[in-house]
Amino acid sequence: MTVFVIRRFLQSIAVLCVTAIIVFIGIYAIGDPAEMLIAPDASQAERAQVVASLGLDKPLWEQFFTFAWNALHGDLGRSFVFNRPSISLIFERLPATLELTLVGLFIAIIIGIPLGLLSGLKPNTATDEVIMTGSIFGFSLPSFWQGMMLIMIFSVWLGWLPSTGRGQMGEFLGIHSSLFTLDGLKHLILPAINLSLFKLSLVIRLTRTGVRETLPLDFVKFARAKGLSENRIVFVHVFKNILIPLITVIGLELGSMLAFAVVTETIFAWPGIGKLLIDSIMRLDRPVVVAYLLVIVSLFIFINFVVDVLYSLVDPRVRLGDAS
Amino acid sequence: MKPMKFLMAGVAATVLMMSTAHAADLIIGSATEPSAIDPLFSRTGNNQNVAQAIFDRLVNTDPAINMEPALAVSWTNIDPLTWQVKLREGVKFHDGNPLTADDVIFSLTRAKDVPNSPAPFSGNVAAIDSMKAIDNLTVEFKTKKPTPDFMEQIGFVYILEKKVAQGATIEDYNSGKAAIGTGAYKFKSWSPGDNLALTKNDGFWGKKQDFDNVTIKFISNDASRVAALRSGSVDLIDAVPPRDVKTLQGISGLKVFSIASARLIYLALDSARDKTPFVTDKDGKPLEKNPLKDLKVRQALSQLVNRQLIVDRILDGSAEPAGQLVPTGVAGNDPSIKAAAYDVEGAKKLLAEAGYKDGFGITLHTSNDRFPGDADTAQALGQMFARGGLKVNGVVAQPYNVYTKGAGNGEFSAFIFSLGNSTPTSATGLRNLLMTVNKDAGTGSFNRTKYSNPAFDQAMQAATAEFDAKKRIEGLQKATNMVFADVPVIPLFWQKVHWAGKANLTYVANMTEDTIPTLAGIAK
Repeated sequence: MTVFVIRRFLQSIAVLCVTAIIVFIGIYAIGDPAEMLIAPDASQAERAQVVASLGLDKPLWEQFFTFAWNALHGDLGRSFVFNRPSISLIFERLPATLELTLVGLFIAIIIGIPLGLLSGLKPNTATDEVIMTGSIFGFSLPSFWQGMMLIMIFSVWLGWLPSTGRGQMGEFLGIHSSLFTLDGLKHLILPAINLSLFKLSLVIRLTRTGVRETLPLDFVKFARAKGLSENRIVFVHVFKNILIPLITVIGLELGSMLAFAVVTETIFAWPGIGKLLIDSIMRLDRPVVVAYLLVIVSLFIFINFVVDVLYSLVDPRVRLGDAS
Repeated sequence: MKPMKFLMAGVAATVLMMSTAHAADLIIGSATEPSAIDPLFSRTGNNQNVAQAIFDRLVNTDPAINMEPALAVSWTNIDPLTWQVKLREGVKFHDGNPLTADDVIFSLTRAKDVPNSPAPFSGNVAAIDSMKAIDNLTVEFKTKKPTPDFMEQIGFVYILEKKVAQGATIEDYNSGKAAIGTGAYKFKSWSPGDNLALTKNDGFWGKKQDFDNVTIKFISNDASRVAALRSGSVDLIDAVPPRDVKTLQGISGLKVFSIASARLIYLALDSARDKTPFVTDKDGKPLEKNPLKDLKVRQALSQLVNRQLIVDRILDGSAEPAGQLVPTGVAGNDPSIKAAAYDVEGAKKLLAEAGYKDGFGITLHTSNDRFPGDADTAQALGQMFARGGLKVNGVVAQPYNVYTKGAGNGEFSAFIFSLGNSTPTSATGLRNLLMTVNKDAGTGSFNRTKYSNPAFDQAMQAATAEFDAKKRIEGLQKATNMVFADVPVIPLFWQKVHWAGKANLTYVANMTEDTIPTLAGIAK
């Protein structure tokens, strides 16, 4: 386990370095941040002043090493646009995205696993057909269009739910979140559903396939022969065995939902990090883009690590490879 | 009056009062968001919207960008280098302290050294040599050289309270601690990416405001912003996409407020260089000389553009055909210059006279996410040029952040760009777009094609050195006439801008494209 952790850690550092270099050069190649930032009626002198104050007049390698040196000291730079430390911009907006993602994932799991089980246990029945056909919609509808439709139906026509923004926030055990107020929850429902629909279909299909593959196996037959109740067979023996692929996929999807909830956040004007990222790319706000991707890469590394540990807990046959 | 009737009247009055109390809150859905609350941090439009609600400037602009007094009530030019500015009496900051000459001097000094400002106000105060307070409400300025448009420069710098702003950091402004102005609304809270909340300033010196609380929600996605208005989540939205204007006008209970803005969309032509990268002969081979250097060719290209067709078909009518930098109503507009008439035969004749009877090959460049219809406009231009006998080798559309770099580096031959004029006269726009690039003189900062016309430069210098306002404008008109006769760029159209709101609201559509709560009101 210790060796596993140390090796993971060293790999992570290498990945972070490579990410920083690629993103830094990438943004440099796209365009000139000064062009995006200066006022439309700026004079030559103002332009020169801005370029110098942002350090854009220096050669690329010098800009990179200044960045790298500061990064080693825990400073990922100040946003060109906001003039605030980029890392604090990101952590300021992370809770909103976290909230949205976790609720979205919760919906996907809480609805997806039971439907998947149902489908898998009663294959080729009407119930199975309905669930499977429904999940095709979840896969194939573009998130953007689906979000607009949710707004049109539930906000514009029915007027039940607000269409944009994050609602009022409440406090519970020192945590500020819109989960704790009615207004906050109302604002959360549509974007969370929009974000969850794709994952929901994924969970349904994974669960169904898992159940279909596990049911004919010898240990299930043996359990039946032993006279165990159907409930115990499904919810203890089968369920445990289909968890591994589910954990893998849910872990990865959690990362991608956190990092790239951009479309949902843009449509619902949700003040999360996805929106910050897309705005920053548009405005070539390099410090924010670099810091963001470093944070996200770290997050993925962490999630993968947790997933690996979970494997070993769920399936005792999996050992975290000290030896290999 | 019978008791019953009296009671009824009382109930009616209460209901009426309740409804006005309810209506007195305004929620705006805005496409853009400020990057900071410090009004001097950035001069770009996003930040101006919020700054103008909380802070004031020495002067304001009316919807047609004419200057009107704000914190300054009068200004006199004592000699060419000396100005005296009288401040408004009885103006109080949000914390109750009165506005004094010291605050003005402090703000104008701070304007040029806001740390890491991406779009500083330093140009606005560059002319100042020294300032002193004559009394509590009078400031005397000495300028470095005669500056007739001095008030147009310093007048648009936001005035802060010295006591509060001294030593304040950007975080102090963002949290509201230092966001103390004299404006119509007080800062309440800001959740970046989500909303900004304001409350009415009861001690405001200007027009009484109709709203007690104003919330500005940031909804960058066009479709979501329109949906938010339709669902009633917001009362007013800005930057209504042209294609949605008709739909919104057709919905009862909603109203659209429109104006032709001073934002010019133009086709820039690489006319200064002897060789240009994207013009070829008809077979796609490089040409010996650059046809765009020839005035007749530029005139011909301008005549090949059917501006009205572009306006009607691509922009759903949301534009006005343009023949110069600023539209009617903005000082410096010359009414005698009309947009070039659509004339294919005339254009072909001009091309033949210039020695390009069979045309030449050209590639057009454009952004595709900067303003409504930018890429489509370029496509249309391509077809129109082809109709005149040119061979269009391609129309290249790029995202704005990639595109600006290429345009600034002279990588294109003919490319679409826009310029919004936000100053009371066309002087700033002409200086930045068309005067010869000269770092020391500060001219031509957006002259991406390095166009140079010495006679025009001289005319501009003469005009801007003129103290008499009427003569200055005449000078600008003369310079405009001279330069557009040379077709340095092909003016295409001025964008129309739209706001939409609930029918019980009014909004003053303005050429500066500002979305400010002070421009909104309850319809009487």
